[in-house]
Amino acid sequence: MKKECIAMLLAGGQGSRLYALTSKVAKPAVPFGGKYRIIDFPLSNCVNSGIDTVGVLTQYQPLELSNYIGIGQPWDLDRTVGGVHILPPYVKEGSKGTWYKGTANAIYQNMGFISLYDPDYVLILSGDHIYKMDYSALLARHKQAGAACTISVLEVPMEEASRFGIMNVNEDDIVYEFEEKPKQPKSNLASMGIYIFTWSKLREYLIADEENPASSNDFGGDVIPAMLNAGEIMAAYRFSGYWKDVGTIVSFWDANMDILSVHSGVQLYDKSWPIYCRTPTLPPHVIGQTGTLSHSLVSGGCEVCGKVENSVLFHSVSVGEGAKIRYSILMPGTVVEKDAIVEYAILAENTHIGQGARVGAAPCNVPPEDWGVAVLGSGVCIADHQVVPPKAMLESTEEEGHI
Amino acid sequence: MNNLHGILFTYQSNANLRELTEHRTIASIPYGGQYRIIDFMLSNFVNAGITDVGVLMHESYQSLLDHLGSGKDWDLSRKWGGLKILPPFAYAKKRGSGEFRGEMEALGGVYTYLQQIRQEYVILSTCDLVANLPIADFFESHLKSGADITAVCTHTPIAAPESATYFSIGPDGLVSDVLCGGHKSLDCESLDIYILSKSLLLSLIDYCVSHNLTSFSRDVLLGMGHSLSIHPCFYDGYAARIQSKTAYYSKSIELFDPTVRASLFRPDQPIRTKDRWDPSTYYGPDAQVEDALVADGCIIEGTVKNSILFRGVRIKKGASVENCILMQDTSIQEDAVLRCVIADKSVTVHSGRMLMGHESYPLVLAKGQSV
Repeated sequence: MKKECIAMLLAGGQGSRLYALTSKVAKPAVPFGGKYRIIDFPLSNCVNSGIDTVGVLTQYQPLELSNYIGIGQPWDLDRTVGGVHILPPYVKEGSKGTWYKGTANAIYQNMGFISLYDPDYVLILSGDHIYKMDYSALLARHKQAGAACTISVLEVPMEEASRFGIMNVNEDDIVYEFEEKPKQPKSNLASMGIYIFTWSKLREYLIADEENPASSNDFGGDVIPAMLNAGEIMAAYRFSGYWKDVGTIVSFWDANMDILSVHSGVQLYDKSWPIYCRTPTLPPHVIGQTGTLSHSLVSGGCEVCGKVENSVLFHSVSVGEGAKIRYSILMPGTVVEKDAIVEYAILAENTHIGQGARVGAAPCNVPPEDWGVAVLGSGVCIADHQVVPPKAMLESTEEEGHI
Repeated sequence: MNNLHGILFTYQSNANLRELTEHRTIASIPYGGQYRIIDFMLSNFVNAGITDVGVLMHESYQSLLDHLGSGKDWDLSRKWGGLKILPPFAYAKKRGSGEFRGEMEALGGVYTYLQQIRQEYVILSTCDLVANLPIADFFESHLKSGADITAVCTHTPIAAPESATYFSIGPDGLVSDVLCGGHKSLDCESLDIYILSKSLLLSLIDYCVSHNLTSFSRDVLLGMGHSLSIHPCFYDGYAARIQSKTAYYSKSIELFDPTVRASLFRPDQPIRTKDRWDPSTYYGPDAQVEDALVADGCIIEGTVKNSILFRGVRIKKGASVENCILMQDTSIQEDAVLRCVIADKSVTVHSGRMLMGHESYPLVLAKGQSV
């Protein structure tokens, strides 16, 4: 069955810079923004843009991610033709077939899947960005430019441009040069890692790339430069709006704090572009007599009897009387007992903070070199009155957390 | 437990619920922040392993249809069985318009449906009960008792006596007398949940339809009680019956009691409801909240005390809401003051308005009103 455009979502990365948060799950499955997981953003964008066929390429720790996506019903991606498909690496005839070597190789290995839908265009997405984007506008730009590839770009402050892959464009926004993390950037148009390709062209370049033993089989490093050198029309699509890469602890924490500013970050309450997610069956949350909340998000099944400021509470979190939560992210099932203090911290799923314990600290109370967001991996238990310093990174062993 | 088929009567609308049932039946009244009353019984069925449920409806059922959809949210969207909506078409052909006069008449309208169900036993229930019930235990008790009919009942009266059915229990432990429509509550009250075999149900319907008998409690339990063995199965946990505006209000407020919440919202027997897309609830820098049950998708920037907020409610800065129940997508603008108000779906209270009801007579704002 033919589809005009299908999406391929690269979700196999480990996200090693998120440390404890991704030691057991792939980065796209990391909880984000109160109810979501990172992958909900590109998946919802697809559905809202009218793309109903999505291949999700998994490799690192796929269990939780595959389980979360299921048959795709939360995103309306349970379709009779198309819908969401999990695409892990697989063994091929004669014991061929390998792990996905790079982003381009992952797509190369799934050319059979793409051919099932005989698409004119293929959209390449990654599972580590928080943003709302209408991919149909990107596709329109691609068609209008008659391009082989259209790259979504974001204008970043010039002084930060050297941290990104920079696209240098002519007056028609056609890319003539691509520079990865240039020391002297010529423009401030950063690639967002979102590409749309004319499938017949991409197919050609993927096959050539695979035959090149020197290639690292990566889109940004190999395929895009190869297409550019061959003189293909590469268009830029200027995106304006909220976009954040949540690949590091600091940017992940920042992006969650951005969500709190109802009117500045990604606008979650905007009904015209909803972000969908899979949620467990839970009753409404309860704020007790002693609970106080300010500038915070609270989700289903929570019980709040303590003080919560500038924080994001995922579902089924419990905050005891006298406990204080400030500038923190509490993932599903976290329990904070009476009088505990949690500041500038990320607590992963099912962590338990004992009575009077202390996790993290405000930057004003610590020398700058010692300060950082404290991170507890899933299932970590902090004993009563134990102190976890800022910048700590704890992971649970079989019995309990250790530093 | 696949041998039990669920039947829900959802056509009751009650004059005492006034504005709340103007556009809907009791079954689809919003309750507890995100539920409709039918969610409780439907979830009870599903949690007991019941796979096939027939929902009988009559008039004002648009809101119910919209809520139930394909039954997907209760895991009842199935190729075979699952949720079956039973509108009153067969009945309307025979009798013309007018509400069902009783359960037996309603069941008579879906006789062929009942003939075709694949289970040997049927559980009948109304949809005005808020409770998390161990239906599987009731069924086991029915099978063990060997009785013709099992009636689920409670020792703690919860209904208005005029509309309740009471039982006297004989020395053999079976129901010896049935009392309907009296003025005094007795200590063995029916929860209007009955289990019986499909074959017995079909023969009872046959008899009732041909004798112009309509009510299950009056015509079957009372009228034929001498020839049927009725086994009482007691449930004395939390149950609330929503039969009037004041009951709706006072029973809702009981949800602030942690023991009530613990018995209704059990992780092992979750109450399922229709899914929406709402994000988490946001509390602004000036929010002041004390004792509140709040669903997802709200933006709260004012003061909320002792209140239940459904999905998507907006409380603007300076607004103050106390002892209120605000249903989904209701918006309370700046500096408005509400006390003891039940606001139905999508109500807007403009800035500076002051609305006061009383615990004994809450003020009800009808769906979509703008004040």
